[in-house]
Amino acid sequence: MMPLLPALNPGLLMVVMGLIAVVLPWQRLRQFLLVLTPVFCSVLLLGAERGVDLATVQTLGLNLVLFKVDSLSFIFALAFLIASFLNAIYAMHTDDRLQDGMAMAYAGAAIAATLAGDLMTLFIFWEITAVSSVFLILRAGTKAAYQAAMRYLVIQVFSGVLLLNGLAYVHGDGGDLSLTAFTSFAEPGSVLIFLAFAIKAAFPFLHNWLQDAYPKATVVGAVVLSAFTTKLAIYAFARMFPGFEILIWIGAVMTVFPVFFAVIENDLRKVLSYSLNNQLGFMICAIGIGTPLAINGAAGHAFAHIIYKGLLFMSMGAVLYRVGTVKATELGGLYKSMPWTTIFCIIGAMSISAFPLFSGFVAKSMTMSAVGSGGYTLVWLMLLFASAGVLEHSGIKIPYFTFFGHDAGHRVKEAPFNMLLAMGLAAFICIAIGLPMIGGLGYGWLYGLLPCTAAAVADVCLSSGEAIKTYQPYTLDHVITQMQLLVLAILAFMLLKRAGLYPPERPGTILDTDWFYRKPGYGLAKWSGDVWLKLGPAMTRISAALFQRTFDRLEAAFSPRGALAREGLATTMSVWAAALLGFVMLVVLFVG
Amino acid sequence: MSTAPERDENGRFVKADRKAGSPVTPGGEHPLSKVLFGWVENKRTPNLLLLAVSVLSVFLILLDFVLHRHDYISFAETGGFYAFWGFGAFALAVLAGWPLGHLLRRGEDYYGEADTRPFDTEAEE
Repeated sequence: MMPLLPALNPGLLMVVMGLIAVVLPWQRLRQFLLVLTPVFCSVLLLGAERGVDLATVQTLGLNLVLFKVDSLSFIFALAFLIASFLNAIYAMHTDDRLQDGMAMAYAGAAIAATLAGDLMTLFIFWEITAVSSVFLILRAGTKAAYQAAMRYLVIQVFSGVLLLNGLAYVHGDGGDLSLTAFTSFAEPGSVLIFLAFAIKAAFPFLHNWLQDAYPKATVVGAVVLSAFTTKLAIYAFARMFPGFEILIWIGAVMTVFPVFFAVIENDLRKVLSYSLNNQLGFMICAIGIGTPLAINGAAGHAFAHIIYKGLLFMSMGAVLYRVGTVKATELGGLYKSMPWTTIFCIIGAMSISAFPLFSGFVAKSMTMSAVGSGGYTLVWLMLLFASAGVLEHSGIKIPYFTFFGHDAGHRVKEAPFNMLLAMGLAAFICIAIGLPMIGGLGYGWLYGLLPCTAAAVADVCLSSGEAIKTYQPYTLDHVITQMQLLVLAILAFMLLKRAGLYPPERPGTILDTDWFYRKPGYGLAKWSGDVWLKLGPAMTRISAALFQRTFDRLEAAFSPRGALAREGLATTMSVWAAALLGFVMLVVLFVG
Repeated sequence: MSTAPERDENGRFVKADRKAGSPVTPGGEHPLSKVLFGWVENKRTPNLLLLAVSVLSVFLILLDFVLHRHDYISFAETGGFYAFWGFGAFALAVLAGWPLGHLLRRGEDYYGEADTRPFDTEAEE
């Protein structure tokens, strides 16, 4: 048994535990196991040897590497494990076997994919994340959730199909499926794999599955979903496409456009989904830069983001659980009933807004510095704009309209204890990894986990050719400039609100690019279906009549009572045979 | 002098902390909310907050002219650049909400999916 354990991919163990949980009827036992599993898996991960193939399988002529840890996959896998631990605590108030089990299987699949050592293994777990996570949306039980879940599944599975096609080209090119970074789009399969990752990372125009599905998931489901799928894609990009310049621009656009949607959106879980999209943009941009500092920025940001974004979704989940809605128009004044949730939400909001002393600050600084020192002035300005935008929708709008603002009169219970515990732990991490180094505690803990440090180097750190340097987030310049940006943005909020220039929250559906496939696209499919329903029988009738007429003519000519049989058989047939022979010879002459 | 313990209609004792106003009773306010956020209700709070943020803003901008900052992008070293950019970006994002709202907002049931409340919420309709 013991030699087996070090070679066991912790993600695979979690998938198995998730499937077991689905059939375990005893709530407390099941939840105890689900909280314990990520802890046990963290021990496996921490004990795993770095940089070697820990488990390999030969099948179908492929050499599959089921378990491999290096400094890049380590930080993502650890963040996923912490998230699944917090999620398991957050879900304890409900007795839902399917949701509990699928949440664990989904997290496990994301971890297993992160710790995979080849493209085929990555693909297998890539698809398992899609298939398991869809239950978290379906479980909401509404028609809207069902339809969104179906769209989600189609898009996610399509991403997997693209990945499979891409890896087939990679395999055909030399048979090596190991996860070595691409150097250009000229390499076979690279474009397909890029697109597969792009769908999961919610690139502009491919992003709408996220804002469509996450806000319709269950209370627990949205929290779970926010952590894994998109960050798995970020990991995959960092692994396979570091330093691709196109990513810098895509990332910059990704940070900016969700800001505008988040301002006018009324459903606060959808606001968080747009905000999630915006945060992914920072990471994608950093991966595009590709220097060790930038890769560290992307990985550190992903780690911090998984925790604070989870915390924000948890706080909105608690509100949804107690009040029954997270529409800004129907909320306000909840600090009176839910003061603990209010505090935790504000900590999440300050972290995502990157206030000094919070995790977002120490993580995002690296990306901003990498972009600035790379000389991408326009991109840098876009990211700075987006930073103020994050403050608007996640830093101010979410806490202000939910817990303060106009009192909507909801007097509910504070969130259940397990929810508060999960939020409290997440809030603790947000602060613990954001503080300056005091007595061995602070941001150094996060920086020690980064993929490109003197102590640990992932392959991708060396691809840009730049040296690995130690980064200082808490310089006077960083703190002052960040405070200037944020405080003046807060001043803008206060002045606009007073002047009545802040657009009031209104109920409604905000159109986004999903309109194209949900209205004209769906309409076209429905229309062509209707047309086919009418055209089909008509065509059947026409073709039947045509065949009947042809058959009648042929019968009139060739049947025993037909025209050709009436005069002596020999003469007529010989004439026809000669004509046929002549025709064949003509054909041969011209074609040959 | 001791009074008889309170009983409910089934004759069970009523725990003191289950009475009106306690955090576990729907309809009540959490006792912690007064301690933590009582200041929010003060009528002078909005003005004081605005004053505090304004003073802090001026202070942060003035710092730029006292200290010489270094930056990766040369024009970002101009005094007050970050303050200007933060204020402007925020105002732009928010003000763009007016035309965008008119352009993109449709009815809640536009896609026929108005009911998005998941089953695992506790609140009654």
